[in-house]
Amino acid sequence: MAVVTLDKLTKVYDRAHLPAADAVSLDVQHGEFMVLLGPSGCGKTTTLRMIAGLESISAGTLSIDGRVVNQVPAKDRDIAMVFQSYALYPHMTVKDNLAFGLKRRSIQRAEIERRVVAVADTLGLSGLLDRKPHALSGGQRQRVALGRAIVRDPKVFLFDEPLSNLDAALRVSTRGELAKLHRRLGATMIYVTHDQVEAMTLGSRICIMNGGKVVQVGAPLDVYQHPANTFVAAFLGNPPMNLLPGRATGEHGGLTVQIGEATIVLPSDKWAPLPAGAAVTLGIRPESVSEQVANGGAFATLPAEIAQVELLGAETILAARIPGVERDVMARVGATSKLKVGARCTLSLDLSAMHLFDAAGDALAHKA
Amino acid sequence: MARDVMPAGAESLREQGLAKPWGTIIAFLLPALTIYVAFTAYPALRTLWNSFHKVLPRREEAIGLANYIELARDDIFWRAVRNTIMWACTSPLVEVSVALVLALALYAKVPGARFFRVAWFTPVLMSYIVVGILWLWIYNYDWGPVNVALRALGLGYFAMPWLGDPKTALPSLIFVTSWMWVGFNMVVLLAALHSLPREVIEAAELDNCGWGGKLVFVILPLIRATLLNLIVLSFIGKMKIFDLVWITTKGNPLWATETVSTYVYKRAFEWTTFDLGYPSTIAAVWFVIVLATVLTLTWVFRLREKLEY
Amino acid sequence: MSALKRAILLLLLTFYTCFAAGPFVWAAMLSLRTTTEIHRNHFALPRPAHWEKFPEAWFNSNYSVYFANSTQIVISAVLILTLVGSMAAHCLARYRFRLNRVIYFILFSTIIFPPQITIISLFQILVQYGLYNSKIGLTLVYVAIQLPLTIYILESFFARIPSDLFDAARIDGYSDWEIFWRVSFPIALPAISTTVILNFILLWNEFLYAVVLITEEANRTLPLGIQRFIGDSQEDVGMIATGLMIAIIPVVVVYAFFSEKLIQGMTAGAVK
Repeated sequence: MAVVTLDKLTKVYDRAHLPAADAVSLDVQHGEFMVLLGPSGCGKTTTLRMIAGLESISAGTLSIDGRVVNQVPAKDRDIAMVFQSYALYPHMTVKDNLAFGLKRRSIQRAEIERRVVAVADTLGLSGLLDRKPHALSGGQRQRVALGRAIVRDPKVFLFDEPLSNLDAALRVSTRGELAKLHRRLGATMIYVTHDQVEAMTLGSRICIMNGGKVVQVGAPLDVYQHPANTFVAAFLGNPPMNLLPGRATGEHGGLTVQIGEATIVLPSDKWAPLPAGAAVTLGIRPESVSEQVANGGAFATLPAEIAQVELLGAETILAARIPGVERDVMARVGATSKLKVGARCTLSLDLSAMHLFDAAGDALAHKA
Repeated sequence: MARDVMPAGAESLREQGLAKPWGTIIAFLLPALTIYVAFTAYPALRTLWNSFHKVLPRREEAIGLANYIELARDDIFWRAVRNTIMWACTSPLVEVSVALVLALALYAKVPGARFFRVAWFTPVLMSYIVVGILWLWIYNYDWGPVNVALRALGLGYFAMPWLGDPKTALPSLIFVTSWMWVGFNMVVLLAALHSLPREVIEAAELDNCGWGGKLVFVILPLIRATLLNLIVLSFIGKMKIFDLVWITTKGNPLWATETVSTYVYKRAFEWTTFDLGYPSTIAAVWFVIVLATVLTLTWVFRLREKLEY
Repeated sequence: MSALKRAILLLLLTFYTCFAAGPFVWAAMLSLRTTTEIHRNHFALPRPAHWEKFPEAWFNSNYSVYFANSTQIVISAVLILTLVGSMAAHCLARYRFRLNRVIYFILFSTIIFPPQITIISLFQILVQYGLYNSKIGLTLVYVAIQLPLTIYILESFFARIPSDLFDAARIDGYSDWEIFWRVSFPIALPAISTTVILNFILLWNEFLYAVVLITEEANRTLPLGIQRFIGDSQEDVGMIATGLMIAIIPVVVVYAFFSEKLIQGMTAGAVK
């Protein structure tokens, strides 16, 4: 049974034209790490706050462990939240911050002591228990915020972009800590972020949102390899998927697509024929674009001119101009590439890794 | 806090021995400092000097500590001190606590909060003279709203000459200043409440705090500095009070509302002895008392402790 | 929040509003009624509204004189305060020198001073220099008493202006005075306008210094005028009320247009 069930959850703010969250439906399974991913304003934080009980629900039902909790106050929902700004009590010591929620729930003193010490130990806060938040570094404060949630032993953990206030290096290490924590506790966690790397590395499932609506839900690799539309396709992956506008010509049994001045023939075993003149978008990830024609496998070739070369050390990112196509095509190639800006070359596109999207941006399904 | 604004090429200027633009500094400060010295510092020192003299219209006579000795035995002075300090101690407590209740009411997102805020602030804007006259009428025995209302409710027994009875005169005046300043305190507290970090209060919500819990464990501790600040401000203000008493009771009846400021005025300008030395002594002693009490208060409240988040 | 709680709350708030604003509304009503009407019923509405009482108070009871004096003195004092205060605040905020904090502390600490410590000697000094009973004398004293608060409010504002602006101005060749006048002052206009409004209100209502230092009818300020009025004609409630309204109206006008600024200004520094 799902721990948290959202059934067409909607939030409309007073005097707003559009809902901030629009009929969001989602099942979060027990022990799952569900990431709500999307750009700013997509409704992910609103949804999280509705689950927490910090925002009222305009329409739809929210259930936790089978019980409808729309009207249940936040403190009775057995959830704990880690806020973006950590929201530590500035006038209390770390120890009091950790113990506060438990004291308010009339838990035995000895039990509170035990839990606080244990959590402080796990998170490396033991030496900081008597300090006040203003005397802590950003990373330490974040850990206290985390500790405050863990010590409550709630049914569901909620995270509101907890890593966004940390510097890059700390973000990476804390990400790892969070993943370890999830494995250890086996708790149900719902995590909001706009960072797709966090989503990919931490989530057991990702729920991508845009404009208040759920766009796609699935395991990270699933969503990465089978995006439901161009939005998801472009959102995941860095550099993002190349989206090349094209037109079906009708030739070769409807499998030819014209990209700029070049044409590509799709493999017939994967794709159904396309009506002549149909506008399609070809999607291919930079890692599936190479400068050499590999042996074996189906590859489409496009003549290109190198516009930009970014040497990253471990690999090289190329931006290439395809005649007739406005946007440069990004390609991820090995560090041994010798191509320079201005060089003319031929790009190979791995046909088995190609995506097709219709005029509305939705993915066209492969042939069964 | 002060920034260093060095002229361009400061290095070379320093070599010339002109590291700071003293000319400019003096030019900017001179007008303010001149006025300060002429109308504040010098008069203060002169008052102190006066206190050791008999200062009559045409001559001055050094009398050492005679004024101070007389002051120690001056019952009226000590009565005035008692009245003023009682005023300065009760007012802040009333003003700040009522203001806190009102601020919390508005903070709870009551409709029309903006209107209430503007409306409640108005008493503070009026001159004490205007306020005094209005309340003279409000407290009027025959037709003032207070007594009229009491009589209308059948509580005519309680109707009395509020400002004329030694027992009720001072409390009645304290009520008036509270009426004035509650609005001010409320506005300040409301601003302080609105500046509290929203997420901390939400965290308290999740930590099983209802309205009471949030108030006691989160809100009050976080606005403590502002509360104490308002108490000190109110205290200082009441120690200085003059206008209101002067226009309503002038210290009557029977010194019940006499404050140090009214007493000084009377001794300096209304007593027939024309001696300015004695009132100067009162001023000097009062100055020390005010300074001592304010410093004690500040120390007790430890207002230097800042809350950083 | 339940509907009942909300209703009780609104009731409480409305009651308090009547309590806070009631006296003024009553005064406004009284100002439009003749004293005879008032003594018949102190709480009736002004029917008819005797608007002619206002010009009567203005011309026959010397209110025009008091009003003019107050205007003259207060506006001059506020202008001087703004200039002198902002110059001093700019200097204290932006130039670092050893006596800086000492001077700031000395100026700031005088806010605690009870007026008695200076007022007796001020009386002597003004008499000595022939400034007693003069508008100039009172104006200068007014500047002195409001200087500490003005400098306090402005100094913290000036200190927050990023130094980059000043460095840029220096590089552009501005002199120290120009930097103050063309950079600091314009940027600080919000804070300066706050102190202007604050000083205006406080000095408009000021009574103690005025009553000690002005005795001549021709130089009386509005608060003094009202006090005389009530001394002369204790029972003429109607006229006194009209006089009160004349005194209140400028403040109400300022408040109507600048309520936000005014509230901000008067509460500046109280929020920690």
